[in-house]
Amino acid sequence: MNAPQASVLDDLPGDLMMWVLILSELAVFGAGLLGFLAVRLTDPPGFAEAQAHLHRTGAGINTLVLVTSGWLAALALEAARAGRRTRLRALLAGAALLGGVFLFLKAQEYADLWAAGLSFDSHAFYTFHMLLTGFHAAHVLAGIVLLGLVGWLATPRAVEAGAAFWHMVDLVWVLLFPVVYLI
Amino acid sequence: MSVTRAWAWLIALTATSTAVAATGLSGRWLALVVLALAWAKAELILNRYLHLAQAPNIARGFALGLALFMLALTGLAVAIP
Repeated sequence: MNAPQASVLDDLPGDLMMWVLILSELAVFGAGLLGFLAVRLTDPPGFAEAQAHLHRTGAGINTLVLVTSGWLAALALEAARAGRRTRLRALLAGAALLGGVFLFLKAQEYADLWAAGLSFDSHAFYTFHMLLTGFHAAHVLAGIVLLGLVGWLATPRAVEAGAAFWHMVDLVWVLLFPVVYLI
Repeated sequence: MSVTRAWAWLIALTATSTAVAATGLSGRWLALVVLALAWAKAELILNRYLHLAQAPNIARGFALGLALFMLALTGLAVAIP
């Protein structure tokens, strides 16, 4: 009987299905960001004026919050592999808490835009902004639930899958932040 | 590189992006600088947080895809008349 052939996918860290999900999400957000910049070409002054209403500093702080949260999730995986359940749960709780901070700051931005009479259909900028950041925030919320679940399971495989999803959320934000908030 | 060192780099790159934007730099130069910094952050997350550095062949594939995406973003960002 022949031994199964080695595949390049055997080197992939974590579950293949989690990577399929990560690639799918990156493709969706990537298309959204390209669409945003393409539509911006039709009205650069309008996009610049609309961008001025966003919480740029809050979004910068949120980037620090998410990359720190991702660091805690990465440390939780190391703790899981070392069999340190209490530590991994504390680290995942910290990561989830920072996810909550991210959503709180994001909600403040939405509330201020709403109070200023700016909504989804006020300008194409806000349509893209709310679609992209709202979809991302939904992923942050799902990630918080997932971190809680894998913290309860507390196995290295589960923590690796949960942390990978959380890092994908982080990765999307570091690409979204400069495109929507800075340039 | 440890995940803690990767985190320190991510913090430094994020602070640099925000500082560059706060200098008043605008237009094409701002886009070029902050998108380059975002590219570096994305590579760090892929290779260190998601551990693709342990799978060099796959990491190269992701790096190529990310490079093409960042070039497309940059092209659209600097194409403003």
